[in-house]
Amino acid sequence: MKRLLAILAVLLAAAWNVQAADEQAPSEGAAQKGGKVFSVYTDSKSPDNHYIPSGWMGDFGDISMDDKYMGEPHSGSTSIKFVYTAKKTQNQGWAGVFWQNPANNWGSKKGGFDLTGLNKLTFWAKGAKGGEIIDKFSVGGIKGTYPDSTEVSMGPVELTTQWQPYSINLAGKDLSYVNGAFNWVVNADSNPSGATFFIDDIKFEYDPALKPEGSKSQEMPFYVYADKGSIQNHFIPSGWMGDYSDLKIDQGVAENPYFGKTCVKVTYGNKASNGARWAGMYWQQPANNWGGVDAGFDLSKAKQVTFWARGEKGGERIEEFKIGGIMGEFSDSDTAGIGPVVLEKEWKQYTIDLQGKDLSYVIGGFAWASNLDVNPDGCVFYLDEIKYE
Amino acid sequence: MIEDRRQRTEDRGPRRHDFRRGLRVFCLLLSVFCLLGMAKAPKKKVYVKTLKDGSYQLMVQGRPFVVKGVCYNPIPIGKSHDHDFWNDPEKPWLVDGALMKKMGVNAVRFYQPGEDLEAARRVIAELYQKFGIRTMMGHWLGFWNYPAPFYDDPEFRKKVKEDLLRTVEALKGEEGLLFWVLGNENNYSFSGKVNPWTSERIEKLGDPRQCMLARAQTYYSFVNELAREIHRIDPDHPVVMGNGELICLDLASEFAPDVDIVGCIIYRGKTFGNIFKGLRNTFDKPLVLIEFGADAYNAQDKKEDEDMQAFFLKSQWGEIYKNLAGSPDGAGNCLGGVMFEWTDEWWKHNEWDPAGWSVQDTASNWSNGSYYLDIQAERNMNMNEEWFGIVKLVPEDAPEKEGQVPAVLDRRQPRKAYYDIREFWKDPKTKRNPRK
Repeated sequence: MKRLLAILAVLLAAAWNVQAADEQAPSEGAAQKGGKVFSVYTDSKSPDNHYIPSGWMGDFGDISMDDKYMGEPHSGSTSIKFVYTAKKTQNQGWAGVFWQNPANNWGSKKGGFDLTGLNKLTFWAKGAKGGEIIDKFSVGGIKGTYPDSTEVSMGPVELTTQWQPYSINLAGKDLSYVNGAFNWVVNADSNPSGATFFIDDIKFEYDPALKPEGSKSQEMPFYVYADKGSIQNHFIPSGWMGDYSDLKIDQGVAENPYFGKTCVKVTYGNKASNGARWAGMYWQQPANNWGGVDAGFDLSKAKQVTFWARGEKGGERIEEFKIGGIMGEFSDSDTAGIGPVVLEKEWKQYTIDLQGKDLSYVIGGFAWASNLDVNPDGCVFYLDEIKYE
Repeated sequence: MIEDRRQRTEDRGPRRHDFRRGLRVFCLLLSVFCLLGMAKAPKKKVYVKTLKDGSYQLMVQGRPFVVKGVCYNPIPIGKSHDHDFWNDPEKPWLVDGALMKKMGVNAVRFYQPGEDLEAARRVIAELYQKFGIRTMMGHWLGFWNYPAPFYDDPEFRKKVKEDLLRTVEALKGEEGLLFWVLGNENNYSFSGKVNPWTSERIEKLGDPRQCMLARAQTYYSFVNELAREIHRIDPDHPVVMGNGELICLDLASEFAPDVDIVGCIIYRGKTFGNIFKGLRNTFDKPLVLIEFGADAYNAQDKKEDEDMQAFFLKSQWGEIYKNLAGSPDGAGNCLGGVMFEWTDEWWKHNEWDPAGWSVQDTASNWSNGSYYLDIQAERNMNMNEEWFGIVKLVPEDAPEKEGQVPAVLDRRQPRKAYYDIREFWKDPKTKRNPRK
């Protein structure tokens, strides 16, 4: 009898161990096909964690991180606390962190995980004060020899002081190789005093009811520029053309904006430093996208683009103001513009008619171009309230 | 009594005869009038038909005709743009015509005939009679006039008009003529960026945008005047107005309503974007893409790349067919396309350097991001003007290779795009929607 009980006890213990083993996180590199949850961060040192928040970007000197922060986590005993100082330590004006596998893998090593079978990333976030603006939260996007198989972003997000759930829809996306599991990006213009925020319970999940996210038609008005750092802003004035060395832009000029707190000041010098004798600037989505990244906005609801402009002296001639027109693998779906325009010293509103235009895919949100033949001394001009409506 | 009746009968005889004769004449005349009324007006040889659903179809000799064309400028290696190929005793069109026919090309575009219109007539005739290939005959409308095309000058316009109508008179009777093409990218001159022109009247307007609009109005009105004249003397062939992209066509809708077809020059990579629906919204005329294509030199890898050229051309033809009449998911306003171009032209990179005419330059003249496969070339300069042919020229002294077609001057060697488009044209429906 005793022997029988002992055998039974051994069998029960063995069964218990097998079950426990099944509940352990898969080893690194193992495929996770068909799994329902794949954690990035639950608690500090949790065996469920995958990926390491090692990829610090931009003004990385402005970032500090505590992944064992115990003050009011969303769940469990800890959350991750990030402090961004906005001091532009590396002169970039922005900063961010990538979770990578293995650590510091910018695409040069084979790593990552196969997350096929999962279709969304969820996480919780809050700000220390509320109002902290996160430019974007993303999944994937690391390039290199072993690039991520997808890149999906959401944002901008304005945090509150309460834990809020966030989700990135990955339905229909290729998750066969994900090295850069999660990342956030902030910038100094949107957070001039810095930002302290918390993230918890980051995980990939499967939701059987989730459908792939089609291109969302944006609501109007859709701002290109409202004010410096405004959460309403879209597109980045990153596409400098022609004599780009002769260009300067200041998006936070507080003197005499048309509306709000600031306006944009563009300075075009007359040195023809790059030999072109013309120059221009594109507001792009994302930055520096000349048609190589599939990331356009659907602005089909827009009937026109309006903006306010004035010249420093009056008489500055801008050959063209336009939207769209970037051509690449993922080209703008259309283009529209006005010009030439001779600016006045006082603010004046201009309109680009969009009737009949296909605005289903826009990466070149706004642009201007001019040349030294019509502005022999170069020119300085101001822009404000650039929006689709 | 009986004698009276006989007399009365004899009296009626001649009147009855007159009546019957009159009746016969009347019936004959009535038949003639009826036949004339029932007879349809003679059909134009080439015209555009508007279908019930509003889509457009080009009709040639009563049948739908999809333009499967090439821009044709057979300048031999070692020669430049002013080479008079029309009078070339080697007659390159006889070799090219045969190759074109094998491919399925049904039309060639000439930008302008040479001075010798009789020579042009012979070329048109031979291409059609021997190979069934029709001609789209163009005219620059003086755009390359030195120092500028002064479209606001009545004397300039008169000279251009006389030259054009002389051409029309000389060539209109050719069976192989398809349509006339007026201008090319002349609209780029409105903003002053290309071949700037103006006049005192225009400059007085002051505002640069008003000046631009005035130039557009002047030019399009002139084109309309020419179109009407051509219609008067040659009702059998439509008039196509060349235009770079859709720029300023909203003004053309107002000032050039009598053109029959819009011919656009488009270089947008693998897609024409919104051009078909955009034209419907701007200037609702049928559309022929009179110039489009891709070069076969990869400026990034610095080598010939036939796959790259074929990739873009196949995609472009797919979009053309998607927008023909009868296609369920297009604009229904496209009549076909004309690829740039049939053969490479070795003079194009630097037309003023005779030493360069015998060398196929690999330097790039311009950049276009929509041809993204080699956009990472140095300074993004990826468009190679001397490499746009779907048939390449092979110098006479080069080693012979399989697939080359001997020609008297330069051998022809079709590129991959030649074969890919040939196969596409054979079965465009399947090729557009291949089974997975």
